[in-house]
Amino acid sequence: MAGSIDVSGMGDQIQAEMQVKQFRDFLIQYNKLSESCFNDCVWDFTSRSVRGNEDNCAMNCVEKYTKVTQRISERFQELQMLMNENAASAAQKLGKLPMA
Amino acid sequence: MAGLPALNEDQMKLVQDLEIEMMSDMYTRMTNSCHKKCIPTKYKDSEIGKGEAVCIDRCVAKYWEIHERVGKKLQKMSTQDEEALKKLAAEQGLVK
Repeated sequence: MAGSIDVSGMGDQIQAEMQVKQFRDFLIQYNKLSESCFNDCVWDFTSRSVRGNEDNCAMNCVEKYTKVTQRISERFQELQMLMNENAASAAQKLGKLPMA
Repeated sequence: MAGLPALNEDQMKLVQDLEIEMMSDMYTRMTNSCHKKCIPTKYKDSEIGKGEAVCIDRCVAKYWEIHERVGKKLQKMSTQDEEALKKLAAEQGLVK
């Protein structure tokens, strides 16, 4: 999750700042995820410790969430590429772009 | 988690601030969750009932536990990812 962007070409200071920002984004995501999985999985307050089924639910919740975000990002990228291609070809048809 | 380079004083301060910020963010979320889970919205009484108090205590304990378990799970998943990538890179290195 962290360190997925290539920052090797930048100055040390900027690189460190970006890494801290990425780390911050990751931590916020972590907080949101544990909140959401807690809300969805823990309903029983007759005991103080997490039960087996609650733990199971929460761990599945985490794993599924990462899979869902990954899939959404894939579909989003596909759509974005398609939109860009459409826009480019439309612009070409209108003669606004010179043929390469 | 991993991947932060050696830090100078300013950066150490930044990371410490980050820790405080995350703790308070988590605290806000926990407060909202446990309020929602333990306090009925009838508000017949302004006092915390006995059952509500017990529920809140357990809710806080459980929230902490889930938060930690989720963190460990994420860590485990990311190390698994890294290992898979390394393996893939090694295999491709052999093919070439």
